[in-house]
Amino acid sequence: MLGKLSWSAIPFDQPIPLIAGAVVVLLMLGALALVLAKGWMPYLWKEWITSVDHKRLGIMYVLLGLLMLLRGFIDAIMMRAQQAVAYHAQGYLPPEHYNQVFSAHGTIMVLFAAMPLVIGLMNFVVPLQLGVRDVAFPTLNSVSFWLTATGALLVNISLVVGEFARTGWLPYPPLSELRYSPGVGVDYYLWAVQISGIGTLLTGINFVTTILKIRAPGMTYMRMPMFSWTALASCLLILAAFPVLTATLAMLTLDRYLGFHFFTNEAGGNAMMFMNLIWAWGHPEVYILVLPAFGIYSEVISTFSGKPLFGYRSMVAATLFICVVSFMTWLHHFFTMGAGGDVNAAFGISTSIIAVGTGVKIYNWLFTMYGGRIRFTTPMLWSMGFLTTFITGGLTGVLLAVPPADFILHNSMFLVAHFHHVIVAGVVFALLAGIEFWWPKAFGYRLHEGWGKATFWFSIVGFYVTFMPMYVVGILGMTRRLQHYDVAEWHWWLQISSVGVLILIVAAGCQVAQLLVSYIRREELKDITGDPWNGRTLEWVTTSPPPVYNFAVLPQVIDTEYYWELKQRAFEQARLSEEPKYEAIEMPRNSPTGFVCAFFATIIGFALIWHIWWLMIVGLIGAYATFVVFAWRDVPEYMIPADEVAQQDRARRAARQHILNTGEVAWQ
Amino acid sequence: MTAHAHGDDLEHEEDDRGGASDEHMAHLGTYALGLVLATGLTIASFWVAKTHLIYDPGVPMALATLAVAQMGIHLVFFLHLTTAPDNTNNILALAFGLLIVGLVIFGSVWIMDHLNHNMMPMQQIMQMQR
Repeated sequence: MLGKLSWSAIPFDQPIPLIAGAVVVLLMLGALALVLAKGWMPYLWKEWITSVDHKRLGIMYVLLGLLMLLRGFIDAIMMRAQQAVAYHAQGYLPPEHYNQVFSAHGTIMVLFAAMPLVIGLMNFVVPLQLGVRDVAFPTLNSVSFWLTATGALLVNISLVVGEFARTGWLPYPPLSELRYSPGVGVDYYLWAVQISGIGTLLTGINFVTTILKIRAPGMTYMRMPMFSWTALASCLLILAAFPVLTATLAMLTLDRYLGFHFFTNEAGGNAMMFMNLIWAWGHPEVYILVLPAFGIYSEVISTFSGKPLFGYRSMVAATLFICVVSFMTWLHHFFTMGAGGDVNAAFGISTSIIAVGTGVKIYNWLFTMYGGRIRFTTPMLWSMGFLTTFITGGLTGVLLAVPPADFILHNSMFLVAHFHHVIVAGVVFALLAGIEFWWPKAFGYRLHEGWGKATFWFSIVGFYVTFMPMYVVGILGMTRRLQHYDVAEWHWWLQISSVGVLILIVAAGCQVAQLLVSYIRREELKDITGDPWNGRTLEWVTTSPPPVYNFAVLPQVIDTEYYWELKQRAFEQARLSEEPKYEAIEMPRNSPTGFVCAFFATIIGFALIWHIWWLMIVGLIGAYATFVVFAWRDVPEYMIPADEVAQQDRARRAARQHILNTGEVAWQ
Repeated sequence: MTAHAHGDDLEHEEDDRGGASDEHMAHLGTYALGLVLATGLTIASFWVAKTHLIYDPGVPMALATLAVAQMGIHLVFFLHLTTAPDNTNNILALAFGLLIVGLVIFGSVWIMDHLNHNMMPMQQIMQMQR
């Protein structure tokens, strides 16, 4: 009846996951009780859960990403604490639990923290930057989000019900095959990643369509803001790479569920093929994350230097160059597999070549800052921290790209230090900068600068103290994922590393404090005009937060940095452009399709993990029925009358006119 | 999942609904021609596999050629890929897809081939050295 599920699945004998799980469940129940008691449920359901508005979905993506970032960070704290004490000792984490912790840390950080944060910012920003009302397929967008949330939920259920994979964040066979991992851990991984992967793929389709087909009138490709360009490149990579992931994991699933032999040791299977295929996805995945991050830096650096982005065209070219070449470097993740000198040399060279594209970008950012009037706001600090830190991280990457060097450093802590160096300084800094930068646009008030700067300084110091010792222990011969060790030289370095984690905990506390303080003081931090930073792109035309339709009248773009030109003209002539003629606006209706689909997807995933076949069939029928109901609906849109649009836009114009009259701008 | 259509997509929908019957017939014609060609190619591949008219080792190559032709027919007649200006995105998407699929397949075959060569069982290496 319940497949493999029984009371033994709940780890009553292990206090750590049980207490953690109990706390999370209590918090969730408490939040739910609060929502119900205060009568917020109808509001949440109507305005958020069923919303197909790209801005709301973007905010929910970011919220999911931040929660998972915290979860992944807790895993990281546990690992650092384990390695700090497990010298000549077993530490406080038993090996099978420790293995789950590092597997969950990687999976969560890449797929359920970084990806939702990147996609969330894309969701929020891209339609605004393109000057349009929504993405191409709004309901599909909601489906994408809720499927991603399903994946995250399944990973977190594994904390209490059953176990998570012990295989590392990429489930390498033969370890991940049924013979060596008979439990449900790998199955949790497989179905969580598959379901959220479908969500990601749908996002890719949605945004490629949006950027290629729906832009404001006159917004040619070469007038698109840089972040939109990088979002396009990232989504092209999603379209090309995620099917590879889906197919590879599907083959592993067939091995585990139906006795196939794609990657087994016997019956003609080839485990090496898994490494090959998973990295054919895994390497582009790195660029799926970092390209939009580069886009964020481009916007931030250009805005706070008060200059147009230097070398816009070369930036576009470098982005597309990276987009293609990222598909030619995947073997550098397994130089030591034994493909031989010819193959290793070719991929080593292509790996070094891809650094050229990034180098072009670095110089463009430097030249954007050169001669500019730089404002040292928190997003700008993150960007400058990125520039200095990322260059050295990239250099250790070029070092690892040399096959003979990689043979020494492969799978060592040096590698761990390298990829945290580039992902934390490249992606995480960008995401925090982006959240800081677009927060006023999303919520109508700026974040507190003091707490933001504190977060930055604690983060960057904590980052160096945590990860630089890892380079050293890597060179001293320490391999990754060690549960305990007895080499004296490593011990001190690992303890320094855990001091770094303490500093990062302070940084995380500052970040939370910043959000709280800013919320409490939102009146004095209020963004009245919708342009708090002296912005250059179209999202700053509209109010903060933007109305559901984004723009009362779609902007007629005639230039790169069109909004900047418009603003300068308004200042020169001390008046706004003529009031446009307002028309009624048609917007997509909200739909519970995404939420209901994901509800059934959760059931399907859970049933498949525990082999509860009848429940899986129920879930499939439910998901199909949801789709049919959605396909049958008659009225997909509603109209916002012209009067209402005019009224809201006149308020916006009045706020801007006030600036022109008084000269009181927010950014000085 | 259906799409919420914006701007020009909406106009398209209306065109389709009120579309002239001539256009409809023309569409039907291309579909029919596509069906004939696709069926012809399918039959041809069965024939190629059976016949002795073709030099035997050349048969896989002939089948591959027919398969590529079949893909072309599908793209042109059923997915309406043309060289018209409004089709630029589709052509670019196809080119990007072909490039990536080519890179991944060629790369994988190359990598695995070298790997298998390097990881050959000792016995086979001995035989090769003889």
